Amino acid sequence: MVTLIFVLRRLGWFHLHGAALIDPQGRGWLFVGDSNSGKSTTTALLATRGWQVGTDDMGFLAPSDNGIALMGALAQIALRDGGRDLLGARGGVAIMQRQKTGFWEQELGSTRAHVVVPQVIAFARIGARTGAVPSTPRIALSAMLNSSPWMLYEPAFAQEHLDVLSHLSRQSRCHDLTLGPDLFDRPDLLEELVT
Amino acid sequence: MTARFRRHADIRLTALEGEGVVLHLGSRSYFTVTETGLTILDAIAEPKTFDQLVDTITTEYDVDRPKATTSVRTFLDRCLESALVVELA
Repeated sequence: MVTLIFVLRRLGWFHLHGAALIDPQGRGWLFVGDSNSGKSTTTALLATRGWQVGTDDMGFLAPSDNGIALMGALAQIALRDGGRDLLGARGGVAIMQRQKTGFWEQELGSTRAHVVVPQVIAFARIGARTGAVPSTPRIALSAMLNSSPWMLYEPAFAQEHLDVLSHLSRQSRCHDLTLGPDLFDRPDLLEELVT
Repeated sequence: MTARFRRHADIRLTALEGEGVVLHLGSRSYFTVTETGLTILDAIAEPKTFDQLVDTITTEYDVDRPKATTSVRTFLDRCLESALVVELA
């Protein structure tokens, strides 16, 4: 995977650790956060509610005619036992090396979005109740820099990578998002919170 | 010989919301600078003297020379401390 990341950098595609989906209104969403921030579980939940799935964990950013777009890595949505239990999902395939269970989006009633143009960026973390606080493009850029360690290793591509993240933070509405268990009772809450 | 200033080879910068975000690849840190600061960092992609930078600021902005001199001096000092700028003898 590291090799792929470095090859794609040379083609102008820059790695991002995050989840990307398209909501039923056609808006692109990007969820950025550490491991254990609820990205995959939220992706799986939203997949059951008519959202298209780009990726639950990793993608590559590049300029497109419609703005900065994310091409999701073709992989299963990988859920830990806790997330799978919350979702009540059955089936899936064990991903032994990650100690997770993988689900293709079709198993959850969704379809694949090969490209997502983010209009909303949510910086996710897990909490007691679901809530969203508007953020600024500058804070969003700072957070994405923290999630982009590869930028530091190849100075020749760093400016292009920085420009892509800067453009992405300007094209999107940014929110700090807390994901709580109540989201499972009201999955539409996300759209309400950022509208 | 008059000293000249050049931005550090390890920095990358972008404009955002009327400010600049500066990434230092070497120290793995990033900074926010004002629009004026971004103008100075843009100007010193190629080496410039202090007076040339003051000229840049008085040309770009509605500010008198004494105030521009103070602003450039303060900004350069902070950038030198953070290794965003290199002073060339």
